[in-house]
Amino acid sequence: MHSLSTIYFLTVRSLREAVRNPAQEVGNIFVPLFFFAVTVGSIGSIAADAFGIDNFTGFQVPVAILSAASSISASAGLGTITDIQRGYFDKLLLTPAPRSAIVLGRITADGVRSIIITGVIVIVGLIFRTGFDTGVLGVVLLLAGSFFFGMAYSGFNAAVALRTGSPQAAAAGGLLLFPLIFLSTAFAPKEVFADWLQLLATINPITYILEAQRSLIIEGWNWLDLLRGAAAIFGFGIASFTLTFLALRWRTS
Amino acid sequence: MSAIWAEGLTKHFDEVRAVDGIDLDIAAGTIFGFLGQNGSGKTTTIRMLTTLLRPTAGRARVDGFDILDDARAVRNRIGVALQEAGLDDIQTGRELLTLQARLFGLRGGARRRRIEELLAIVDLEDAADRAVGTYSGGMKRRLDLAAALVHRPGVIFLDEPTTGLDPVSREGIWRYVNRLSVEDGITIFLTTQYLEEADRLAHDLAIIDEGRIIARGSPAEMKASIGTDVVTVEVEAPEALDHAAEVATAVPAVERVQIADGAAVVYVPDGARAVARIVIALDDAGIEVGNVSISRPSLDDVFLEATGHHLRVEEPAPVDGGAA
Ligand SMILES: Nc1ncnc2c1ncn2[C@@H]1O[C@H](COP(=O)(O)OP(=O)(O)O)[C@@H](O)[C@H]1O
Ligand SMILES: [Mg+2]
Repeated sequence: MHSLSTIYFLTVRSLREAVRNPAQEVGNIFVPLFFFAVTVGSIGSIAADAFGIDNFTGFQVPVAILSAASSISASAGLGTITDIQRGYFDKLLLTPAPRSAIVLGRITADGVRSIIITGVIVIVGLIFRTGFDTGVLGVVLLLAGSFFFGMAYSGFNAAVALRTGSPQAAAAGGLLLFPLIFLSTAFAPKEVFADWLQLLATINPITYILEAQRSLIIEGWNWLDLLRGAAAIFGFGIASFTLTFLALRWRTS
Repeated sequence: MSAIWAEGLTKHFDEVRAVDGIDLDIAAGTIFGFLGQNGSGKTTTIRMLTTLLRPTAGRARVDGFDILDDARAVRNRIGVALQEAGLDDIQTGRELLTLQARLFGLRGGARRRRIEELLAIVDLEDAADRAVGTYSGGMKRRLDLAAALVHRPGVIFLDEPTTGLDPVSREGIWRYVNRLSVEDGITIFLTTQYLEEADRLAHDLAIIDEGRIIARGSPAEMKASIGTDVVTVEVEAPEALDHAAEVATAVPAVERVQIADGAAVVYVPDGARAVARIVIALDDAGIEVGNVSISRPSLDDVFLEATGHHLRVEEPAPVDGGAA
């Protein structure tokens, strides 16, 4: 109980911080949408023909969602570092609130922000006629996936922040996702890749998350894809939370 | 029962012996002053006692609870204002206090009343709904103090609460600290590098230097332990200082002479009488005497006697104090 209320209060605090810094949120959404528009606009029609994808716009929506979620979660690492540098983190550690719940508050806020930004991107997609094959239930599932992906990615950033206390390291940590995106099926299906890239894309969890999201938007219900995507997010979450709690233990001992 | 008790409390950072085996036994309800210059180990001691830092060795209890085995219980009973006011610029003062109160389990009307009460105590009612980032240095210290008090702790730790503040803000903090002690009977562990602050506030005092406690007692007891007046003699030629010390030592009734900061510090009962004899003896020895002063022993003399050097105060870059 105490843990849940602590998480809740600190989530609210982080969200309030985001609301008071709207410029940053606008940047978080503008950059992925910009790349989304440019990708679709430049190679959209060729790619659709070449890869045999009818709805390349819908194919690209998950890429925008994942990169938006990752820039959101990078700011959580920076927020944690600001708290550490100002001494506010110590003030929180000096309360009887469970220490893991203190860290989880910010992470949960990132999950919530991921939901919001995902909603915006889905709406922009609909305006560009991506459609949404699985309907409202599919949207809900996509938002839920973004919530957990945002938390998992944020946990990773929080771990870097707690372990290093360095804004530079946190900013670098926030970039981890980009190579993973490029080494996945973000821009084309696996079948057209060279062998080595095909192998990397196969072991890259981002591939499965993207494919699950895509299936919801352009394919209809595909339980195997959804299960794989959920497993990938879950595995990523386990790994990142393990790092977060190890880093927290290191900082507080 | 002692409010704070420690035995052999030690913290080493690799080679640095930040705190080197200190014992504490602080009675409930007292203002305990922990006096030492920069780098002497004050903050490290507080961080261990408040469960932020694990000791390398030793044991400690706060309000009867072990800092390692019962850390959560300790945190429930203490209020802490660290050296750098640990605040969040984006929240308003009221939001910051509200979050603090919630994390200490205060709910509903009781929480709101407590926050109003605290804002009044630290004179921040008018600024309560402004972002903390707009506060002056003095206002931030006061907000930090209020945050340390939300849950009515029985013991509070204040790490250099007035360092870098202007005299008016400093007086303000002293007033709050005294009030907490007198009206609420709170035990206060206060670190400082200011002799005057220790003298004015502390009922009980320990002087820490290089991680070790080198003197303890009430300020009055400490000064009395010197047992003499202090005559400080400056000489015109610095190279004559050692010779001057020798000559002064030979003057009847002089107990001890110490050289510090370019002057001979002469410990002698009834300094007013002795000063003439000292100056004449130096003159006879051909040493040219500069400024001479006589004083009752101060805490600085206690510090000097124990360490061989004066207490050096290092002011940080001045904080914009604001009116207290
Ligand atoms: N985290 C740390 N790592 C290494 N050395 C430290 C650390 N914290 C403090 N020290 C060292 O320990 C000594 C005591 O520091 P501190 O307790 O901050 O002194 P004070 O508060 O009296 O100024 C200093 O020499 C300081 O440099
Ligand atoms: Mg200090």
